[in-house]
Order: sequence, then C-alpha cells, then structure tokens
Amino acid sequence: MLTRCLKIGIVCPYSWDTPGGVQNHIRDLAEFLISAGHEVSVLAPAADDGNLSSYVVNAGKPIAIPYNGAVARVLFGPVAFSRVRQWIANGDFDLLHLHEPAIPSISLLACWAADGPMIGTFHAASKRQKIIFAIGPILEPAIEKLSARIAVSEAARLTLTDHLDTDAVVIPNGIFASHYSQGTPQPQWQGNTIGFIGRYEEPRKGLSVLLEALPMIARFAPDVKVVVAGPGDPSEVQKSIDPQLRHRFTFLGKISEQDKANFMSSIAIYVAPNTGGESFGIILAEALAGGACVVASDIPAFDDLLGHGEFGALFASEDSTDLAKVVIDLLRDQEKRTQLAQVGRSRGQSFDWDIVAKQIFSVYEMSIVGSEKVKLASDTRSWSRFLSKDDK
Amino acid sequence: MTDWALVVFFVLITIWYLTFLATRLDRLHHRVENSWANLDVLLQKRAAVALEIAHSDIADPASSLLLTGAAYQARDADIQSRSAAESGLSGTLGLLLEDSRHLTTAADSALLTELSALTDKIRVAIALHKDAVTRTQMVRKKLIVRIFRLAGTAPLPVTYEFESDVL
Repeated sequence: MLTRCLKIGIVCPYSWDTPGGVQNHIRDLAEFLISAGHEVSVLAPAADDGNLSSYVVNAGKPIAIPYNGAVARVLFGPVAFSRVRQWIANGDFDLLHLHEPAIPSISLLACWAADGPMIGTFHAASKRQKIIFAIGPILEPAIEKLSARIAVSEAARLTLTDHLDTDAVVIPNGIFASHYSQGTPQPQWQGNTIGFIGRYEEPRKGLSVLLEALPMIARFAPDVKVVVAGPGDPSEVQKSIDPQLRHRFTFLGKISEQDKANFMSSIAIYVAPNTGGESFGIILAEALAGGACVVASDIPAFDDLLGHGEFGALFASEDSTDLAKVVIDLLRDQEKRTQLAQVGRSRGQSFDWDIVAKQIFSVYEMSIVGSEKVKLASDTRSWSRFLSKDDK
Repeated sequence: MTDWALVVFFVLITIWYLTFLATRLDRLHHRVENSWANLDVLLQKRAAVALEIAHSDIADPASSLLLTGAAYQARDADIQSRSAAESGLSGTLGLLLEDSRHLTTAADSALLTELSALTDKIRVAIALHKDAVTRTQMVRKKLIVRIFRLAGTAPLPVTYEFESDVL
C-alpha cells in the first residue's frame, strides 16, 4: 500500500440518518480508511445536525423522491450545488469517491462540479429502464469524468453496462468478517431453526414465501422453528400466519451486531427469500461469515454471491414449494449442512474489509497517478483561466 | 433586429458546445495517458518479478530459461508487439505456477504473493485502460468532433489486445 496519507472526499447521495446499505458501506469504508491513517471527509445530506460523526459534513436536508420503485431520500438543487462546490473548494482533496453518481443527488452534482481524480461506485441493480434513452446523453459526459468505476456486484455491473454503456471493476461490499466468526451459539436459537433477518414488512424481502413454505416444512420436520429479526411491527404479519403454526415463530425485533453474530452461529439454516431489488446481499455475506448454512432465492445477486450454489443452496425465486424442498433436504442432512457452512465461511472471509478496502485502495492509487488534486471544474475552464489572468 | 440577436445567440451556443466537447475530449486523452502509465509501470514491475522468479529456486533451469526470455521480450517490446510479448510472459508464468503449487520456502512464497498481488492490480489497470480507450474512440468518432478537429493533433488511442485474464 501507499505510504503517503491521502485526503479523500466521499460523497453519500442518501440521507445519512436513515439506515441503508449504501450508508453502512460508506461509514465502514470511511472508518477503515481513517484507521489506516488517511484523512476522510464524507459529504452527505442529513435531516438532523446533532449526532453526526466528526468526519461527516452535512449538505442539507434531504427530500424524499420516488426512485426505482422505492422512496429515495436525496438532495439536489442550486443551494445544494453551491454547498457541494464549497466543500470541494475547501477540501483540498487528493481524490473524490462518489457513490451512486448516476442518480439525481449530490454525488452527481459533485461529479459535475469537480475536476481531477474521481472514482464512482455503483450500488444499484435494476432492469433496463426506458427513461435512460432520455437522460443517458446528459449523464454521459459526467460519468465519463470518473477515472474509475466500481460496481459492487456482477448485477450492478450489468446494470451499468446496460444503462450507460461503460464497464466497471467489480469490488464487493465489505463486512467485518472476523466480528461475525466470533459468535457464540445461543441454545434458544439452536435446533431445527430457520433464521431470517430484514425489514420483513417489505414484500420484496419475501417473508411471505417462507410463510407459504412452512406448512410443508413442518410436515417433514415437526420441531421446526422460525426466528425472525429486524425492525418492524410483527402483529400484522402474525395475523397472516396460520394459527396452528403461529407458536413456531419468534420475532426478535431489531438486534445488535453481537446478537447477529450469535444468531448466525446458532441457527440451522439462514433463509433469504428476497424476490428482487437486491444488488449485493450483504446479509448473505454476513450469514456466510457467521458460519450459517444459507438458502437463498436464485435472483442474480444471490446466485452470484453464492457462487451458483457452491457456497449455499438456491431455490427458484418466489416458489415456496421449491424452498420447502430445499430446506427439508438440508434439515434432514446434517452432514451436507455442515459442509455447506464450512465452504460458506471461507467465502464469507473474502468479503472482509481488510481485503475489500485493499482492492478499493489500489483503484485509488491508480487514479491518482499523474493527476493533480481535485479542483472545481469551473476553475480549469479556458475562459476562467483567461479571465483570472486578466485580473492579475 | 431580433434576427441578429438570434444569430448571435446561436453562435454563442455553438461556441459553448464546441469548447465543452473539446474539454471533454482533452480530459479523456488525459485519462488514457494516465491509465496507460499505470499499466505500463505495473507490467514493468511484473517483468522484474518474473526475472527474480527465474533466478530463484522456484524455476527449474528449463523454465528459468523460458521465463528470462519472455521477461526480456516483454521489457524490450515496442508498442506494436507489446501486447503479444506480455501475453507470452503471462503464459510462461502461468505454466510455471501451474507446476509449483506445492512450494515451500518463505522467500519463494513471498515472491509468489507479490506476483499475485501485481496480477490483481494489472487486471484492474487493464479494465481501466480499456474503458478509457473505448470512451475516447467513441467521442472521437462523432461527426462534429471530426469536422472541427477538436482532437487537435492528439493521436487516436489504440486498444491493446491484452488477454483480460492474465494468469
């Protein structure tokens, strides 16, 4: 690694105070880089100025807009643009790392405003949208300024090549793998337990697929239990469960990181029945690192992460019968379960921040070679240079 | 009177667009230069490591001879024959590594880890360079760029046909 300490500016498009995959990724990356001795400043929109970490700069209050089938809390507009410009001008950065620079947000604004080494990370994976024909030509010159593009998964890379006709290096999301491998098994979660973590009220997380499969599973494995963790109100879901099966469910609510590690090392099978909208599947990486045997739907991101079934079992997405079949097979076959968990654990280690951050950093090194520091693009334009020469 | 204003407006817009395109193209050319510089440095380093491997105990005399030859060829190749020479070196290194999975001494494995770290970086550098080249070629194909000779005298970047999976 480079011995020189770099000054890195990271731009987060989404509201810093709402939880999300991109925000977590940026937080972990920023903290990792800081602990490696670099200077990091994160520019992010935030509704509340109060409890921000010292390295976060508030760009203003985010607004909620519908985007890609969900509500995105982002920020743009003239006021935000001038804040972004100010941040770049004062920051004296060696390079900028923009996250999700292709959506209307401060990331895109920073990409417009800055000139110099810039790296873009693309997180989202979605099907080709018609609208891209209209906005593609506008985005193109901006995206072109990025000296390197990173996609967090093969699915995200395909989205990028589809939409913007440019390629990217695939570097996965990071997890603190060592943290997850140190969980202690908890007796109340052991036995024939199926685990599920996530915002279970969202339909795309696919808890309903698991609910449909459960009667079939219970017929073959009478002592099966389901433990669900994640934020949400369980009463609504409990109503939809067959009363005879209701006692098999435990809702834990939101659990701590330590509990998550314990959870993964206790349960028999971790099930991820997501029906789509997933680009990487960080929870699967955590489950693998925690030593759980994983069963997941065969959506592209999961298929890729599980090595087409090498590191975990796959079932046809949204097909509860297939899910039941796969789970029953595994519940009956202790040996296969241990074997899957074992290869999965080493797969999980490959997502450790130590490895991932090193890969990201080598992209940093490559994009700063031969370049100057990050400046405002308007300062380098020929007429501004011409005008400022006149001033002198 | 309004006619004149319109013409002036149109001319200004055209000038703005042309400078915008020229800046964009200039930036792309810089990107190509930088990404090539990166790749070049990494490839040189790899050739040096290959030579060291050739002189170490990892390589038997025959493969040492092959490797030394390939490494020197990669170092001395001019731009046209560069990619062929580098691919040749990749092949020779691949052959040797295939055989020596069961290596032992610490110094040797240090060399090999250095090589695999370099290979990872080269893979990224190739992807970056390729992308920069294709983007530049795409913009330079635009009619307006060719009519106004916005690229100036900068040579059209050529794609280097590296095998994307070196080693």
